[in-house]
Amino acid sequence: MSQETLRIQKISGHAGTVAGEGTQREYTICKLIDTTTCIGCKACEVACMEWNDLPFGETIFGNTYQTMPETRWNYWNLILFNEHEREDGSLMWLMRKNQCMHCADPGCLAACPSDGAIVQYTNGIVDFQQANCIGCGYCITGCPFDIPKLNPQTKRVFKCTLCTDRVGEGLEPACIKSCPTGCLHFGSKDDMLDLAEKRAKQLRDHSNYPNAGVYDPKGVGGTSVVYVLHDAANPELYGGLPKDPHIPWSVKLWKGPLKWLGNVAMVGGLIGLFVHYLRFGPKDRDEEEMKAETKS
Amino acid sequence: MSQSGQILPHGRVLRYELHERLTHWTAAFSYIYLLLTGLAFYTPWLFWIAIALGGGQISRMLHPWAGLIFFLAVMKMYSMWAAQMRTTETDKAWWGAVGHYARNEDDKMPPAGRYNAGQKLLFWGFFWCSLLLLLTGAVLWFPEFIPWNLRFLRYTAVVIHPAAALLTIGLFLIHIYMSVFAERGAFGSVIRGDVSVEFAKRYHPGWYKEIVGESSTPRK
Amino acid sequence: MTNGWVDIKNTDMMLIMGGNPAENHPCGFKWAIEAKRNRNAKIISVDPRFTRTSSVADLFCQIRAGSDIAFLGGVINYAIENNRIAKDYLVNFTNAAFVVKNDFKLPGDTDGVFSGFDAGKHTYDRASWNYAAAGGAANAGAPGAPAPLPEKVDYDLTLQNPNCVFQLLKKHYSRYTPEMVERITGIPKDQFLKAAEMYTSIRKDGDMKMAGTIIYAVGWTQHSFGTQIIRTAAMLQLLLGNVGRAGGGVNALRGHSNIQGATDMAGLFDTLPGYLKVPTPGDASFDAWMKRATPTSSKPAPWDSWNYYGNTPKFTVSLLKAMYGDAATKQNGWAFDYLPKVDRDYSWTHLWDDMYNGTVKGMLAFGMNGVAIGPDSNKNIDALKKAEWLVVGEIYPDETSEFWKSPRVIAQGDMKQIQTTVYRLPCAGFAEKDGSFTNSARWLLWKNAAVPMPGDCRLDHGIVAQIFLKVRDLYKKDGGKFPDPIMNLTWNYSDRLNPPLAEVLKEMNGKALADLEDPATKQQIKAGQQLPGFAWLKDDGTTSCGIWIYAGSFTEAGNQTARRDPSDPSGMGVHPGWGWSWPANRRVLYNRASCDVDGKPWDPSRRQVWWNETTQKWVGNDVPDFKADSHPKDHMGPFIMNPEGVGRIFAPLGAFADGPFPEHYEPIESPIVNPLHAGQSTNPMVTRFKDADDKFGTTKDGFNVVCTTFRLTEHYHYWTKNNPMNVQLVPEPFIEMAAEMADEMGIRGGEHVKVSSARGEYIAKAMVTKRIKSMMIDGKKTYQIGIPFHWGYRGIAEDEGKTARNLVNSLTHTAADPNAHTPEFKGFLVKVEKV
Repeated sequence: MSQETLRIQKISGHAGTVAGEGTQREYTICKLIDTTTCIGCKACEVACMEWNDLPFGETIFGNTYQTMPETRWNYWNLILFNEHEREDGSLMWLMRKNQCMHCADPGCLAACPSDGAIVQYTNGIVDFQQANCIGCGYCITGCPFDIPKLNPQTKRVFKCTLCTDRVGEGLEPACIKSCPTGCLHFGSKDDMLDLAEKRAKQLRDHSNYPNAGVYDPKGVGGTSVVYVLHDAANPELYGGLPKDPHIPWSVKLWKGPLKWLGNVAMVGGLIGLFVHYLRFGPKDRDEEEMKAETKS
Repeated sequence: MSQSGQILPHGRVLRYELHERLTHWTAAFSYIYLLLTGLAFYTPWLFWIAIALGGGQISRMLHPWAGLIFFLAVMKMYSMWAAQMRTTETDKAWWGAVGHYARNEDDKMPPAGRYNAGQKLLFWGFFWCSLLLLLTGAVLWFPEFIPWNLRFLRYTAVVIHPAAALLTIGLFLIHIYMSVFAERGAFGSVIRGDVSVEFAKRYHPGWYKEIVGESSTPRK
Repeated sequence: MTNGWVDIKNTDMMLIMGGNPAENHPCGFKWAIEAKRNRNAKIISVDPRFTRTSSVADLFCQIRAGSDIAFLGGVINYAIENNRIAKDYLVNFTNAAFVVKNDFKLPGDTDGVFSGFDAGKHTYDRASWNYAAAGGAANAGAPGAPAPLPEKVDYDLTLQNPNCVFQLLKKHYSRYTPEMVERITGIPKDQFLKAAEMYTSIRKDGDMKMAGTIIYAVGWTQHSFGTQIIRTAAMLQLLLGNVGRAGGGVNALRGHSNIQGATDMAGLFDTLPGYLKVPTPGDASFDAWMKRATPTSSKPAPWDSWNYYGNTPKFTVSLLKAMYGDAATKQNGWAFDYLPKVDRDYSWTHLWDDMYNGTVKGMLAFGMNGVAIGPDSNKNIDALKKAEWLVVGEIYPDETSEFWKSPRVIAQGDMKQIQTTVYRLPCAGFAEKDGSFTNSARWLLWKNAAVPMPGDCRLDHGIVAQIFLKVRDLYKKDGGKFPDPIMNLTWNYSDRLNPPLAEVLKEMNGKALADLEDPATKQQIKAGQQLPGFAWLKDDGTTSCGIWIYAGSFTEAGNQTARRDPSDPSGMGVHPGWGWSWPANRRVLYNRASCDVDGKPWDPSRRQVWWNETTQKWVGNDVPDFKADSHPKDHMGPFIMNPEGVGRIFAPLGAFADGPFPEHYEPIESPIVNPLHAGQSTNPMVTRFKDADDKFGTTKDGFNVVCTTFRLTEHYHYWTKNNPMNVQLVPEPFIEMAAEMADEMGIRGGEHVKVSSARGEYIAKAMVTKRIKSMMIDGKKTYQIGIPFHWGYRGIAEDEGKTARNLVNSLTHTAADPNAHTPEFKGFLVKVEKV
């Protein structure tokens, strides 16, 4: 447990400093998803369910190969299937493994009011601590990727843990291990970015994808899950991957200026009233004093 | 005919009937709970309040229900007092002289009725803010049911809700200050329901005149 | 596969057609992705639907199901026309230079059939399908019997002789112009040309360094001309010099974990283990059988041919010794009389037809769900109704064991009339037993039981063993007409009731029955020892071997299939210490062809085997598939299993029932008449039945949509509909159809659609997609639909009443390929209606 604590660098809803900050030399880990070699086999979905022992749920046919419309509180890893016709008439069947992006600047953590319900480890994993979750759902609003999902029964929020239990033991996440084509890679952020850039260049040079590129959005400080996309200029094609994701401005306003303004106003108000009382006292003071004087 | 404003024995004037007092305290207690738990959710520095009140989960669970109670109480107040809260010419003059009021120079104030302009502001402030809080609170209560393409609702709610709450906090602080510290006897008026004739005369001369005009005979 | 899964990583070009490996072989498909990532290899995906494979392909062509020969023939034509062929390889390693007999006629000249066709009997006299003998000598043959291959073949190394194989090939496929390809396949000419250009680009300017592979699966086999599609691919690969090469070959992706093993072990009625030919009633004796079954070499005089099947008697005698032990003696023709003589076609469709007609009385069904997997499910159900008994060994209650309460039976209301006794035996699943899997790459991989069998489960082979022992007891007690084959069968297992599979594998590998010595190396093997390989097999009864190609899998050094050394010294994906592959742990077949005539690798950066001048031997990273000491100047052909020693672009005599060159024939149910020859639209040699249930539809009857069936990654055959996790991934059956078609019919995704053929109907939700488009077939706008086949009337969704409880194969028909006897599951006609 103490080791865990030392690995934490950010804590949601937390007053004061964070114990683990600066104590570890851990590097940022990263999951690379090469959508150009994903075949949508869903091995990662199954591996996620198996490793985490997630219960089976009901699904219904939705005119797609996609297992369900979006991730669920108990289904953290979902490949999104999208058909896209290119300008030359050729078809693309885009498959993108969707899960928590593990942002460097996580909107969920910023929005969360509950002390320790969301933590970010020094290796970059953003992890929900359901024991501390109060079920307010602010993380749902804070996330630009629509990832956290609430269990309606227990009112706790869940999402991909990036297999922090496996990673902590030096193993790769379950999805990575299960991927048959090697479209998923796992390693340090630097290594993964290097690999991703090389693959993107290969796609630009040798395949018909002049816009191939890497998705590591700066708006959220970069992510610990990066994509190689055939068309990095249009990430929305891949099941609504936001082009420039960032923590919603309203969340920033609320957690930033508004909070400080409010704090100042409240404290200022209290002080002001106190000073007012000291200076002017109660409105009926003169009468009371008169009464007192009369008595004496 | 409302019983309020009747002159009682021992030189006291009935200011709030029982159902008014009940409504006030329903609103008051629910508001205090909302305030405390809201503050806990609002800033990590005060999250300990939620723990003290039974834990984060309980606080999160009860906060919206308390909000509903508070809102209903405010609506009841609206039905009881809205008519008396209409802004009058005197109120405008009152605001013009509000500096005197702040310096306790009440004799220089235009004569207030049953409610002075400040109290009316409190009333309307709470009324409109509670409406906003209800609407945004509903979104925050069930964020999981807000579809992704309506996410602007959540984005709006997370700002409007605390902003509206902050406004009410400002009003609330002044309300407490005025009723507990500044105008002695005011607090008693929402406990026992009556105020002294002096209190009525001093703070609500317009109202006092009304009462006297209405009935000069003390009730038995 | 000629090559193997891992070897795909060495390729530069992949033509994936008649298969959807990304969907059905996702793990093996990693090597295709490796090739893309590491070699910038290209994938051309040709399929009736835009599939998961197409999604990572560089080029996709939507082809009409059943027109593959037209496409491949078109590519052959393109390669020849544009001189993108491997000339040296063609001349030296194939029979391109062989001269064919004068009276051989191509279907272009004889109204769509080859010479020798008897239209009345629908048979071929294949005498003209032969090479001309050198010097014009007549082929020597037994009187009355068809002439065999000539010992010395007439040939022309310039390939100019108008009757040489190359010129015939050129002439035959010159008819497959891009325009004709477009008319038949529906692939627009420019797209076809793009594909042909891309695939043949590996032989641009005659450069031999690059290699291209062709990858296929049952999308090719399941046609009334399936074998010939694969033949066309093999010919194209020979033409381009891709066979025997790393990253080349013709690669069949097998649809189940051990289907290759099943085929090796005589899965078909017309082979014995190791693809030895079965005896027929015409074989009067063991020697007569061997004379017919053992080929003799047939080649240009100056060349050499190893003709490895010349060893057939050694393999066969060793097999019979393994089966009957001491009871197989030279005197009794190695127990030749014990073997059943195969007098006709006993393939799948015939067995069910026989049951339908009352001659087959019962069935042991293991490891397959017969009602569901066979064509024309309704006929299968009708057949089982007439059976006296049925034994089903399965892990789940399935459609076969519950045929008597299928919706069809319920609808007909005759459940009470069914007298079939059904025995349902719970059997162990694959993870609950040990044994080996033989994968598509011919690798035998041993596995251990992962979990114990639940409850009263039995091992399949334990059930078979117990039935056998019981039958033998009955013979012993009661006697019988011919007890010897039963009484004398060897059964020397430590646990007779549940033979340990390792002992079975040892038996398959074979052992010495007497002390043996290799005269060349003086290596000795004592009687009773395991054989190191099939080179030791003898035809004098001193060796036993259950399947010659598996000799070497379980040697004195132990179980070779259980080896797990992942090292790959050459980096070529050989992994010689990982499992064991037949034959002789060789990973790429015909790998002699990876070198030029002089024994030097075509591509020095991908050296597989080569001639070592110093040691005067063939050596390499892989096990050379060749006579180790045959000097290149002897010009021994690399295709040692053929009597010619070279690859067969022209397949002579009876190699194929329906022609020495593949010709495009229309599927039995086709929306058009064959544009090549209206008079012979379909395969003249097709197997078809004429029972009441065997109905065929035409466009005149409104069956105007081409339908094909397929599998999904998320499900495994008819099993996983019982597994909640798989059901969660894809919960319900569906029908894939073009968005354009759906618009015309007013169907939206998720609405129910009824598909009917002349035989049955299928109701499921519509998957409306852009991944299928309308196509112009011979000028006619035609739609194609695809149906995944994983559902039936027993499973989670079925039991919950979420499906129409029907089987896709109630739509398919029983007409089958005359060579491999595979039914035409792909490309039949249906009509589609909104429900």
